[in-house]
Amino acid sequence: MLSDNISAQSIKFVEYDLKNGLHVILHEDHSTPITAVTVMYHVGSKNETTGRSGMAHFFEHLLFEGSENIGRGQYSKYVENAGGALNANTSQDRTFYYELLPSNQLELGLWLESERMLHAKVEMIGIETQREVVKEEKRQRIDNQPYGNLFLETLDHAFDVHPYSWPPIGSMEDLNAAQEIDFKNFYKTFYVPNNAVLSIAGDISIEETKILIDKYFSGIPRGTMEIPRPTQVEPLNKGEVRDTIWGKDQLTMIVQAFHIPAQGTKEFYAVDMLNQLLSQGESSRLNKSLVEEKELALFSGAFTYNTEHPGLTMAFSLANMGADPMLVEQGMTEEFERVKKEMITDKELQKLRNQLENDFVTRNATVAGIAESLANYHMYFGDANLINTEIEKYMAVTKEEIMTAANKYYNKDNRVVLYFMNDPNATQE
Amino acid sequence: MIKLKHIFLFAVVIAISACKQSSKLDRSIVPAAGPAPAIRIGQYQMATLENGLKLVVVENHKLPRVSYSINLDLDPLMEGPKAGYASMAGDMLMAGTQARSKAQIDESIDFMGASLSSSANGVFGSCLKKHSGEFLSLMSDVLLNPTFPKDEFDKGIKQTLSGLANEKTDPNSMSDKVGNVMKYGKDHPYGEVMTEATVNAITREDLKNYYDTYFRPNVAYLVVVGDITFEEAKAQATQHFGAWKKQPVKEASFKMPSAPDGNRVVFVPLAGAVQSVIDITYSIDLKPGTNDAIVASVLNNILGGSGFQSRLMQNLREDKAYTYGAYSAISADENVGYFSAGASVRNAVTDSAVTEFLFEMQRIVNEPVADSTLQTIKNIMNGNFARSLERPQTVANFALNIEKYKLPKDYYETYLQKLQAVTVADVQAMAKRLIKPSNAYITVVGNREVSEKLSKFAKSGKVEIVNADGTPFVELKPAPEGLTASDVFANHIKAMGGVDALKKVKSYEQKGKMSMGPMALDMNIRVKDSKKFRMTMTMGGQEFMKQIFDGTKGIMSQGPQKMEMDADMIAETKQQMDLLAEMNYEKNGYSGIVKGVDNIDGQALYVIDLKKPDGSFVTEYYNVQSGLKYKSVSVEEEGGESFISETIYKEYAKSGDIMFARKITQIAGPQIIDISVDEMVINPKIDDKDFSIE
Repeated sequence: MLSDNISAQSIKFVEYDLKNGLHVILHEDHSTPITAVTVMYHVGSKNETTGRSGMAHFFEHLLFEGSENIGRGQYSKYVENAGGALNANTSQDRTFYYELLPSNQLELGLWLESERMLHAKVEMIGIETQREVVKEEKRQRIDNQPYGNLFLETLDHAFDVHPYSWPPIGSMEDLNAAQEIDFKNFYKTFYVPNNAVLSIAGDISIEETKILIDKYFSGIPRGTMEIPRPTQVEPLNKGEVRDTIWGKDQLTMIVQAFHIPAQGTKEFYAVDMLNQLLSQGESSRLNKSLVEEKELALFSGAFTYNTEHPGLTMAFSLANMGADPMLVEQGMTEEFERVKKEMITDKELQKLRNQLENDFVTRNATVAGIAESLANYHMYFGDANLINTEIEKYMAVTKEEIMTAANKYYNKDNRVVLYFMNDPNATQE
Repeated sequence: MIKLKHIFLFAVVIAISACKQSSKLDRSIVPAAGPAPAIRIGQYQMATLENGLKLVVVENHKLPRVSYSINLDLDPLMEGPKAGYASMAGDMLMAGTQARSKAQIDESIDFMGASLSSSANGVFGSCLKKHSGEFLSLMSDVLLNPTFPKDEFDKGIKQTLSGLANEKTDPNSMSDKVGNVMKYGKDHPYGEVMTEATVNAITREDLKNYYDTYFRPNVAYLVVVGDITFEEAKAQATQHFGAWKKQPVKEASFKMPSAPDGNRVVFVPLAGAVQSVIDITYSIDLKPGTNDAIVASVLNNILGGSGFQSRLMQNLREDKAYTYGAYSAISADENVGYFSAGASVRNAVTDSAVTEFLFEMQRIVNEPVADSTLQTIKNIMNGNFARSLERPQTVANFALNIEKYKLPKDYYETYLQKLQAVTVADVQAMAKRLIKPSNAYITVVGNREVSEKLSKFAKSGKVEIVNADGTPFVELKPAPEGLTASDVFANHIKAMGGVDALKKVKSYEQKGKMSMGPMALDMNIRVKDSKKFRMTMTMGGQEFMKQIFDGTKGIMSQGPQKMEMDADMIAETKQQMDLLAEMNYEKNGYSGIVKGVDNIDGQALYVIDLKKPDGSFVTEYYNVQSGLKYKSVSVEEEGGESFISETIYKEYAKSGDIMFARKITQIAGPQIIDISVDEMVINPKIDDKDFSIE
């Protein structure tokens, strides 16, 4: 159980389903006169098929084009004229739209989101424009950035059967290939109320909001098509995958990625804390060993993908100028091996718990963040109250479980090792 | 009572909802806004400690945490040939104190789950309220007693150099750098850039001096935000920062940089770039916290502010699809502000994108904006302002600005009224003053091939090609087609006298001088049977240094110190005495690529990137005409420090049939060694005893 001295605000909320299957979550907080209106659709890049990578994200762009009642390009105009801000993002597992509005404009947000869900309208001119915009987004975020291909290459090398093998941005070929009919089918299949969560947080009255939600959303018909979910399971311990990626960046980046269980499982929490031990803060093991003591790396840390299906944890080190990349890899491996053999100390466990407590207290600082967290917890676990209780799952993790997780997942046969090295002739076209 | 009221409300709700559902919703009606909510700005309180430290407190009890920041209010600092030392000093406050090592500091912060960081302008951190006592002891130790330990300093230099290497392929940091160099110029601190040379020149003393001079309470604000009362904060400040000693801090002022008298196009090549990072920029005179700053902010939001409605976004993204996002910025600053407009665009549309930027800049100067546009932008800014108040840190920033810039106390309370009062005429007048489509630096970081189309934007008709630090970019001309690195190596061997002649040289003796700063040494090198090597350095007849390799083992000695050569040193020694070294590169696992022809010190040189068997690189330069090697450049590392190492070969002359460089200069970081070879004897008789290791 949660120890008594962990003190944070408890997030209160109400939730219910409309008849069409739309799940609604409402959180009331009057500190600031603003309201976050958000809709999360349970569709991401893992719902894409081979040859149509990037579809979910491309589609997210198109859903700002307009609807039966909203002219092309008017979404942002309505919101910004009202003094609000809007945007969206797409992950492997879900697509998330939001409007941050002055609280007297709640109804506008509901109208806009219900139009998007009921009858979005996408014209050819919009498709062609956004196709180019998305390609620029890919160039700007990936192709033209130092080590921009890091995630892409790691995912590609790690997954053979699961669609996590490509990132949400997709490939240029697939972006070019997407047709109008693909979008129509995608919309009919995934953009239905029974595949969405409407989560609203901020300066609202719960009862009035319920009435408005009923007004705008209850008339939207439930989806009739079966919603496909990938069933492929990426096996563990497939044997080590090792490769060198040549590029124009000057310093060598060393990546070691391990297959891990899905978020929300007991083992996931142990892996997440192990990762925290390795990489959170200056005193974390990878930083302390590789950056501070051995002086082999400019940076060394780790990152875990919280994914609905079994995913990856990635440790990476940026080698110092002149440092031998093999020594860097070895230094990282030594840290993994150490956790397998030596039990972490009570003090270290307490440190991890203190860090978790601090993060837990800090993270619900904005209504937009609260709306998203509530939607997340409902969509993936069917339990929005995890916003208040997930920390208990972390606090229940023992030292032994962390050691067991290291032994089970941080193995040679379960990893991908990539070196991103400088090729003076690289042009990366 | 309360219950009754609820029941009443509930009944009303049912009635409304029943009524609504009975009629079909007309979805074409845009919902009307409710009455505008009141916008409340949180309050702050202030106090000044005896040592001059000014305390600003913003209470917010929503979450059980507190943030503390020390902000120094300093004038810009000219760092000159040591650019980068101030930021290093700031970073290294946390590298150790009299009482704590870096590892101990890191461990304590992480154990509390807190965060703490430092910079040239202060120290910032936050923690849960229950840890605040312990946290502040640590924070004040870092602030008051840093020791800048030698080993941490060395590490910091090494990491800074690695960081610089990393920036060389980051188009955004290159763009920032070149923009600063251009718009502020070399004579303003904002225009200074950190390079390998300036970093190598920094000493620990520079860091200590910076800290002693500028980290003083009389120029500092302590801003406390969170779950704390004013009285508690005051007691904490006195307890933990009361002992901080005041001392006058000198002020500095600098000449305002001027905009160019016509557009200049400045291009930084980045090999392999698939996008061009465009930035149209120049410095401006605009002070923060003024009415002008509010009008300028409205102007900027119309042109290229954060929303989707801005003209740049609508034109370059939504209409032309040149980019993922196009933005502009107008920055007010106490010293010198800037205008900037830019985007990342695909290579093929670089010049078209610049045309659109200049078009939009010209348009906003020439044409008054529509009333509706102005109203939209005011609404956006009104919303941004209201949303920013969700974070208590915003109120703290307001307080700090009011104090630092001596603004009226109600500047932010009345901000929204001042915003609403801005007129179309105000915006146009400000555009005429600040938007300069004909007096800008048009900087582009991108693929070399896109630069040619940009010359039409320059007043001079020329594109200035530079490195990110603003120094002229040395352009490599293409080498003759089909020329390989092996050809260049073979030419060098041929110019030295040819394979046959070189193979005949089994033994040789070189006599000469070596000078290193004020130190002058006599040098003697003996090579026997192409496999034994001996080098001695003497000073006034006294042996100073010796290096011997007997064919299998080697030693190095300097005075009483003696060490055995390891495998690396042996390999290097063999390489050094091998007259055919270049010809044997490939055999020994080296691979070379001809990059092109450079022009250095008045001579045309082939540039070869040579990859060593260990994966590291050396760049070698060979004279196009004579074929002889001119220099080699590499990044070396020793004792945890990285530096550029250069060896230059000059004054080649014949001894018998063989050409030798008579002057060799070795530059390793700040150290320069000059070697002159005065005498070269081919195949002399050398005693085997000379190579005895014992």
